[in-house]
Amino acid sequence: MRYSELQRKSFLEATARERATGLTDEGSFTELAGPRDRMMSPHLPALGEAVSFDDGVVTGVGLVGEHPVFIISQEGKFIGGAVGEVHGAKMAGIFRLALTAYDHAAQEHPHDLERYRPAVVVSFETGGVRLHEANAGLLAHAEIMDLIQDTKGKVPVISLIGSKVGCFGGMGFVAAATDVILMSPQGRLGLTGPEVIEQEIGKEEFDASDKSLISRTTGGKHKYIMCDCNELVEDRIGAFRDALCGLLNRPYSSLCRCRRIGSYELVREQMALVRLAAQLDPSDSKDIWRYYGNAEPDLIPEMEVKEFLKTAHRRPREVE
Amino acid sequence: MALVHLKFSFDGIPGASIPREWSHSGVVGSGDMEVLLTRREQNGRVNVTVCTPVSGFDRVWELVLRRFVAESGCGDLELEINDNNATPFVVGLRLRQALLEARGGEI
Repeated sequence: MRYSELQRKSFLEATARERATGLTDEGSFTELAGPRDRMMSPHLPALGEAVSFDDGVVTGVGLVGEHPVFIISQEGKFIGGAVGEVHGAKMAGIFRLALTAYDHAAQEHPHDLERYRPAVVVSFETGGVRLHEANAGLLAHAEIMDLIQDTKGKVPVISLIGSKVGCFGGMGFVAAATDVILMSPQGRLGLTGPEVIEQEIGKEEFDASDKSLISRTTGGKHKYIMCDCNELVEDRIGAFRDALCGLLNRPYSSLCRCRRIGSYELVREQMALVRLAAQLDPSDSKDIWRYYGNAEPDLIPEMEVKEFLKTAHRRPREVE
Repeated sequence: MALVHLKFSFDGIPGASIPREWSHSGVVGSGDMEVLLTRREQNGRVNVTVCTPVSGFDRVWELVLRRFVAESGCGDLELEINDNNATPFVVGLRLRQALLEARGGEI
């Protein structure tokens, strides 16, 4: 597919490889540990489960302007994008490479680091740990969390969420720990996935067959109002890319201010939200939307992105 | 229980390989497959390896692959397939798409 077509393509419909290619500058993406390296799961064959040459994640490096951008793009069609041993190791490897690239950039361009600063971009499409190789998958989550801490003060980590599977389970935590989150309205972000909630607590608690309920509680618009995601974009690879370029043109310090966790003040802000939830006792996300000043919450789910961004009232941030 | 590994070899057309050294196409989704094509000069021979969780379909694989090699007019190739329950029709379709992509065509 031509690069210009790729830019117009739905992010939701795109494969992990298409996303990786389309997010970086034309012709600049180089896949690392790609299909030809045949780094496959050592555990799935023993269980009689199909394997994939890339273990469900595309990893590599490309350019956005002068910035080397290290990409992790998960493929939800392969075991729901779940993180196994090899998949996780590939993700961790990308963080390590980005940190090495930062050291180089800091040495080569000490006075012009803003321009050459590397970034890590993760296009999440996953339910978290791959249960077939759960211990290795969990360890990978811990390792990536650790590496995200190592990036602080050096390399921005940007999450993109707009694919079919969404971003759930342990990887929901990982996304929350990154610096910036971009979502499309179709993107979904959470910890315990809708079907797991229904299975564990019951249909009265959460009806996982109710698509609009899922969208209202985990979807991009709700996360935007709640400031769980920083920016909302349309469902096009090009729209995600434009937003990414915009972020990388901003000073690193302004990206650090997008974080939701990572300081005492931010923890206090999150705790205040917990108290507010207990106090409001909302029966639906619409109650919260209204609370934050959206007078007609019923109109929000159907609104076009442009109109929504113009009219939406967001939760005021306490920490700037 | 374990994965099934199948190997096939067909007569293809000498010189009818792909322009680049290798090409990859497809996603191992449910009912789908991926294929890695590698150029190899071997008198037109097309060797195929298949890795699939489904057993007992060796003959069907052979028929589908033989027809693909004959109808596509390819040769001098190694094909490595990771399958996850793709139907014979999907296999044929994905292989044609993969060859077209490898040759720089638009789908």
